[in-house]
Amino acid sequence: MREELNVAFIGNPNCGKTTLFNAYTGAKLKVANWPGVTVEKKEGAMKYHEHYFNMVDLPGIYSLTSYTMEEKLSRQYILGEEVDVIVDVADASSLERNLYLTLQLIELGKPVILALNMMDIVEERGMEIDLHRLPEMLGIPCIPVSARKKTGLDILMHTVAHHKRKIMDSNLEHHHSLQNKEKNGNHKHQHHKEYTVVYSDEIEDKIDIITERLTNAYPDLPNMRWHAIKLLEMDAEIIEQYPIECGDIIDHSYESQIINEKYDFIEEIMEEVLFNKDTKAAATDRVDKVLTHRIFGVPVFLGIMAIVFFLTFSVGDFLKGGFEVVLDTISYGVMHGLSYIGANKIITSLIIDGIIAGVGGILSFLPNIFILFLALAVLEDSGYMSRVAYVMDGIMGKMGLSGRAFIPMLLGFGCSVPAIMASRALEDPKDRFRTVFITPFMSCSARLPIYVLFSQLFFGKYAALAAFSMYIIGVIVAITIALIMNKSSKFKEINTLLIELPEYKIPNIRTIFIYVWEKVKDYLTKAGTTIFIASIIVWTILNFGPTGLVTNMSDSFGAIIGKVLVPVLKPAGLGMWQIVLSLISGIAAKEVVVSSMAVLFGINNVNSASGILQMSNALNSQGFTALNAYAFMVFCLLYTPCVATIATIKRELNSTKWALISVGFQLLIAWFAATLVYQIGGLLV
Amino acid sequence: MSVRNGIIGSVYVVESLQMKGSTLRRLEALGLNVGTKITILNNKKSGTVIFMVRGTRLAIGAKIADSILIREDKV
Repeated sequence: MREELNVAFIGNPNCGKTTLFNAYTGAKLKVANWPGVTVEKKEGAMKYHEHYFNMVDLPGIYSLTSYTMEEKLSRQYILGEEVDVIVDVADASSLERNLYLTLQLIELGKPVILALNMMDIVEERGMEIDLHRLPEMLGIPCIPVSARKKTGLDILMHTVAHHKRKIMDSNLEHHHSLQNKEKNGNHKHQHHKEYTVVYSDEIEDKIDIITERLTNAYPDLPNMRWHAIKLLEMDAEIIEQYPIECGDIIDHSYESQIINEKYDFIEEIMEEVLFNKDTKAAATDRVDKVLTHRIFGVPVFLGIMAIVFFLTFSVGDFLKGGFEVVLDTISYGVMHGLSYIGANKIITSLIIDGIIAGVGGILSFLPNIFILFLALAVLEDSGYMSRVAYVMDGIMGKMGLSGRAFIPMLLGFGCSVPAIMASRALEDPKDRFRTVFITPFMSCSARLPIYVLFSQLFFGKYAALAAFSMYIIGVIVAITIALIMNKSSKFKEINTLLIELPEYKIPNIRTIFIYVWEKVKDYLTKAGTTIFIASIIVWTILNFGPTGLVTNMSDSFGAIIGKVLVPVLKPAGLGMWQIVLSLISGIAAKEVVVSSMAVLFGINNVNSASGILQMSNALNSQGFTALNAYAFMVFCLLYTPCVATIATIKRELNSTKWALISVGFQLLIAWFAATLVYQIGGLLV
Repeated sequence: MSVRNGIIGSVYVVESLQMKGSTLRRLEALGLNVGTKITILNNKKSGTVIFMVRGTRLAIGAKIADSILIREDKV
């Protein structure tokens, strides 16, 4: 019979866990959400000799308490029946802190294997880890690996295959009972052969009593010791699940003491296993001297962002040329194919003017989006992203936000949905709320096609500048709103930034590739689903009216819908039913604004020279000028990003009311800003 | 003195953590406990500090920085 093992990968953030996971699964991983929560769940499968492994990548966490969603969910998953073996990935170059999670995992009582990742860095720095003593002290196998250099990967999987159902190695060997003889001369608890972590007599006495009571109350409970420790820590979840009477022994939470004693043991381990600690100063400190400099930190960051956007527009445009040729060929081929087989005129129009115009137009922006995500992936994987939190902390502090709130905002340049989810890492709930509220104003990549197209249409050689100005306006609006929210708030917010700054590293090509591929896949999927359907709907409402099939689009349902809102948007210079209709359809996804324009004007490839000319003629004939175009871009920047964003805001704030308020707010801001641009611009021009 | 007043490059010992709740637990889990040695790596006027604890660099805002009391490490 084929035997399958369920392996869970867990580890601290920045320990290289994802790189290790990717090294096994490649790009063939399934990304979904954990049931009920918006925490990403990555799954993959592999075969090693005759063993089949189902692997799950758990979120990066520092401990296994029940304070955050990620920690709670990882803990529940590991405690469940499903997991056979846990692979605890530790950054061996910063072993001391990583071992804390390891000790907690061992206490959970499941088979744990410690993967000592980044061994290449350990060697580079001249550090040495006693790989004989470490497993003796922890009681679990410790396998040196390097996900980056791909060493030790087979050995790790071999160990996983042979370590299922084996909780503790029998050769657990400590010396601390001897060392602490003076302190604990009459140590009553000789657990040192049984448990990796043995606490002080005070704690062990309490564990014994609680264990006894738990055994009476819940005889079938596995791992009494762990539950007893959690009750001592007054863990809300465990107290609720297994209430017992123990007010007489637990007078306060022993969590601090338990954490401290775990770290005492870790110090003991470090003394015995780590040699030549940091003989070479880490290069990170030298790089940080520049990147986190008091004065140059902010300009350096702005410079980096300027380069990112320059690459997005220029290299993206360069790559676009090839795309256009392919798209034109396909469109031409399909058109001739259809006329050759004598296809119905309506069907031909649907395919050419509806689907190819809508979906094809969007695909041509893929190169720009590819470059943008590539840049964001490099910033994240190199370790720079968390420095941005430090660099921007002073500026963000003036708005009453932690510097860390800048990370979701930065990610918002990619896509609002993961950006809003990233706000969860903020310590303060009020910070989180405000960050969720302002992140949609950061210009996401779906808005990029709108800027690229309209700035090419109306701003000639200043096109890149016009497009870039949208990003600046987005940031200014977000910051202004945060400032106003801070000023109007009764409590003066004080900064609660807390973030780890990982070592800098050369970005891993495989990790970046997989990250970017996920985003490209999302974009293609969106083109094939949301945009495909929206294009068909837009085509339909434009070609049918109350009288049936219409020859003049201004008699269609689409025109009727658009005309209703024309008076509202007229002050903003957007009083054309075509524009209104494209804005409405843009709520499905922002790219749809462009695709529905293409459908409206029947342009096969809006992003090609001839397409641009066609569109420009069509708009110009209706008196749509550069000023209208700029007001249009501002409106697109600021109004509701898309349905997916609304849903994410609702989930993250856990409130339909606030999600709707944010949508109304965005529409209002967009209308005011666009009107301001159009009216003031009208006076100047 | 608080972490905020530490001199860049100097080593200090944590004397007490004047805070409660999840922030305290997070810091403790990251290995910042009473008696732990830390090295100040960088700071800004706004009160944001970068320090090294148990081989990890942490950046903290003014509020947290003010609640971590330290004393000089006597070697």
